[in-house]
Amino acid sequence: MNSVVAKSKEVTLLEILDRVLDKGVVISGDMVISVADVDLIYLGLKVLLSSVETVEKLRGSPFTSPVQEAR
Amino acid sequence: MTENGQLIYLYCVTDSELKVNQIECSENNLYSICHNGLYAVVGKVDQQEFGEEGLKRNMADMEWIKAKVSMHEKIIEQVMAGTDVIPFKFGTLFNTDASLKALLEQYGQEFKTILRKLAYKQEWGLKIYCNQQKLKANLGNDDSEILKIEDEIKSTSVGKSYFLKKKKDELIEKMLNEKINECGQESFELLEELSFDARINRLLPKEVTEREDDMVLNSAFLIDKDEVDDFKNMINTLKMRYEGKGFYIDCTGPWPPYNFCGLSSEKRHNE
Repeated sequence: MNSVVAKSKEVTLLEILDRVLDKGVVISGDMVISVADVDLIYLGLKVLLSSVETVEKLRGSPFTSPVQEAR
Repeated sequence: MTENGQLIYLYCVTDSELKVNQIECSENNLYSICHNGLYAVVGKVDQQEFGEEGLKRNMADMEWIKAKVSMHEKIIEQVMAGTDVIPFKFGTLFNTDASLKALLEQYGQEFKTILRKLAYKQEWGLKIYCNQQKLKANLGNDDSEILKIEDEIKSTSVGKSYFLKKKKDELIEKMLNEKINECGQESFELLEELSFDARINRLLPKEVTEREDDMVLNSAFLIDKDEVDDFKNMINTLKMRYEGKGFYIDCTGPWPPYNFCGLSSEKRHNE
């Protein structure tokens, strides 16, 4: 069982971008970034991902100190 | 309310008071804006950086995007650790606290309805990838129809074998698609049964995933916390069933419920 959970501790930047840029509540604030060109960002990401590995993420342990997050 | 040159960046909305000063955040000072029992977790950001001009420049800078998007996620996750949240999309900005309060006023009831729906639930993501070469290699071995064609190819003229080979390729292609659909559909349906809600999202191309194999399913599930163990067990079952046959099952979470907080006035968004 733990193998499934362990996998979730390390999430790629792609997973984050797939949500943060593409999902979440969209509302007309005073200004909202139009991320209509998300695809372009993804393509830019290709360059980035080749140099940066994965973003270590702190998951599933709400009460551990956030400082543990790898930088 | 803001000092000159600052904007208010909205991360998430929740209905319980929280200690924002305990949230780790690398640059902007976070605070919360309360209105009618709702709390908006916000931070002040630089107009130079997030204003129209600055954004145009920065959205072309992957390092900048990477840092800001990761921070966005990290802040919401820390809030999520203590309470249910409605996560907002990257770059929801306001000029003043008053205009944000106006938003909480306008959408207050709807936010509360969404939070009730999200209570005691988690979002998990499932992406399935397929290595078509590997899947193909597995296909031919045990399919009687393909074996039969292969026999025929061996014992026939060159001209005829050309058409038989073509027929074999078509057959394999068809079986490949069937297997991929079967894996994606079965996985999604079995997990959907354990979920409160589920979504299928668009597939991301290889240029984006930078993987050798193809994404064949991109999905998200909203799961009651009591069902999470069953969900993980099912993921394991699917892994055992499909990995090794050319599929890779990639499950991540828990995530802020990005996929399950669409406003009724924003149906389009959930599409």
